[in-house]
Amino acid sequence: MEKIGEGVAELLHELSVLSLSGKELQAGEWTLTNYMFFLLIAVVVTMVFLMVGSRKVKLVPTSRLGSLMEMGVEFVRDSLCADVMGQEGVRYLPFIGSVFFLVLFNNLIGLLPGFKPGTGTMGTTVAWALMVFVVYNGIGIKKHGLFGYLKSFWPKGIMAPLAAFVALLEIISQLVRPLTLSVRLYANMYAGHVILGIFSIFAALMLEASGIMKIAAVLPIAIQAVLYALELFVAVIQAYIFAVLTAVYINGALHTH
Amino acid sequence: MEQVTGSLSVIGAGFAFGVGAIGPALAIGWIGSKTIESMARQPEMAGRLQTTMFIALALAEAIALFGFVLAFVLMGQ
Repeated sequence: MEKIGEGVAELLHELSVLSLSGKELQAGEWTLTNYMFFLLIAVVVTMVFLMVGSRKVKLVPTSRLGSLMEMGVEFVRDSLCADVMGQEGVRYLPFIGSVFFLVLFNNLIGLLPGFKPGTGTMGTTVAWALMVFVVYNGIGIKKHGLFGYLKSFWPKGIMAPLAAFVALLEIISQLVRPLTLSVRLYANMYAGHVILGIFSIFAALMLEASGIMKIAAVLPIAIQAVLYALELFVAVIQAYIFAVLTAVYINGALHTH
Repeated sequence: MEQVTGSLSVIGAGFAFGVGAIGPALAIGWIGSKTIESMARQPEMAGRLQTTMFIALALAEAIALFGFVLAFVLMGQ
């Protein structure tokens, strides 16, 4: 039992934000953290994927990477932009596409052994969610003007005290959006890695033990294989959800009621 | 005394997530079953229903994740 506790403590330490050499961060210290490092790797992978994939674009893609990228971009254009925001939403393809691919590659890179997802820390996800918040409010203000956009929070046709209450609720729900957006992505990635880690601890401890326990170690390893497949699914779904919610928020700012 | 509050905060963290996950779990099940029902009734709408389903799922899931974060906050107490 004690060994499990030690293992879990080590796992949580390993998953916390540390400097690249594995030391604890000092207050006010500026350094490259482990998560920032993997975030940079994911950014480079995303850029290389998109740049190499979009080189020599032809009507019929010939290279494998090119057709893979075309599938991805078409998916973003059709089911994230056009389906959610209508045809005018295709204008926002570059933004939503960048968000989608960046989150997707961050999540997927975190699943390689020894790697961490750049999205597995609050810092990254809060920054992205705030960026989405600024962008969709900016789009709303640009379309309706500052006064017109603020007026859209005030419902028409009901008496003033009730309208004020609805407006208050509306503003609170707007302010909670960056919080939910960031916590959803972070918590999914973090919890997934904690669960994978805990089953590895079980497997390692059972393999260390003797006799029947060694054979029983097959069980946590099998569970881990299933969980890994689940995490692969979660990585893609979370990227999709982050991007689709961005699209929904932009749509809400464009078509105010 | 410190040990008692420490243990209590661990119990509280467990409850925060465990109890907090009941509502979202029911919500996710309901969303899924209703979407399948609608898809069976109108298969041509499947694509749009799926998009809406994922949005609703994400909103329900966010509530459970607040409990998850709260659990971590309590653990640190």
